[in-house]
Amino acid sequence: MKQISSMSDLFERLNDLKIVFRYGQKLIPIIQSLIDFMKETVPLLEDINTSISDTTNKIPRAKDQINNVSSQTELATTEILDVVDSISLDVEKVDKYIHDIKSKEDEKNKSWEEIKKLIPSSSAADKLIKQYESLDVFSSTIPAIEEVFGKIRNDVYKITLSLQVQDITSQQLAAVNHLIESVRMRLSSLIVHLDETELNSVDNVKLDIPEKATFDPDAVYTKSTERQDVADELINSINAKATQDEIDKLFS
Amino acid sequence: MNLKFLVVDDSVTMRRIVINSLKNLSYDNFVEAGDGREALDKLSADNSINFVITDWNMPNVSGLELVKSIRGDEKLSKLWILMVTTRGVKEDIIEALNARVNNYIVKPFTPQILKEKIDQIVNV
Repeated sequence: MKQISSMSDLFERLNDLKIVFRYGQKLIPIIQSLIDFMKETVPLLEDINTSISDTTNKIPRAKDQINNVSSQTELATTEILDVVDSISLDVEKVDKYIHDIKSKEDEKNKSWEEIKKLIPSSSAADKLIKQYESLDVFSSTIPAIEEVFGKIRNDVYKITLSLQVQDITSQQLAAVNHLIESVRMRLSSLIVHLDETELNSVDNVKLDIPEKATFDPDAVYTKSTERQDVADELINSINAKATQDEIDKLFS
Repeated sequence: MNLKFLVVDDSVTMRRIVINSLKNLSYDNFVEAGDGREALDKLSADNSINFVITDWNMPNVSGLELVKSIRGDEKLSKLWILMVTTRGVKEDIIEALNARVNNYIVKPFTPQILKEKIDQIVNV
């Protein structure tokens, strides 16, 4: 440090001090407002802490509710499948009855042809035969009945297939549950940090899906064949003995 | 050809849908399992099973682990395996193919696709 060797040095130093004091006087209101701001901020931080704590405590309930939705949808789907199976069984029974009736009808028609041969030909007899045959609507109705039952069978099967939506939505819900749990964990750690008066950013919340997850976070219920087309193209490439690099190139 | 299917999925709904679809295709011989571990138990207890239809995401032993176990087992390695899963991204499909599934279906599936894939596998 430079030694004060003369009175002029002393005055120079005193002048420096005076400047520092003047700055100090200017700084005092700023420091005061900073203290006031911090006084106002502390209760706010406490409020945030309480609010986060409340939210965090409510999360397990939200998770339970999502799980309930999943189980209830699965139960409802099972009930629908039971009904659908029952309808399918009834349709099968009707199919069998129709098949039996058709066989008997064929036998009956053969017998009728034989009977017709035995009836002496006359205009009155011919008229009666024609009248009788015109009343036999059963043979012509059977194909229409079969068509209706075929349609019912197809529609019932379509219902079955559309119930795949239950599996897909339950995976989506499981993924949401996983995200909620991740957020809960981050909020819990935030509470600890707030208690330690350290505020961390929550922007970088990591929502990793565990490798052993029993759900697919990207599950979608769609009629688009785009994803199946990707699978098919890859399989075709493999069947054509393409190398992995070639397969990768296809989609890069 | 006489096919006996093992349908593996942790969703009861999906197992029923796959089995209903197989019935629609006139197949009538199948067993079920709720995860990969149960599937391996069924396979070791029943050597008449020759076709496995499996989901990917399952508890205990996943579909992919099941495929690897089957391919790594001398007695089971020749089984036909069809994966039916919601996982439709390229990397997943490549991973399954590397594990040597015979074919791959992305859910939701249609009966036409199921028939087509079974026919392709069996006729290769």
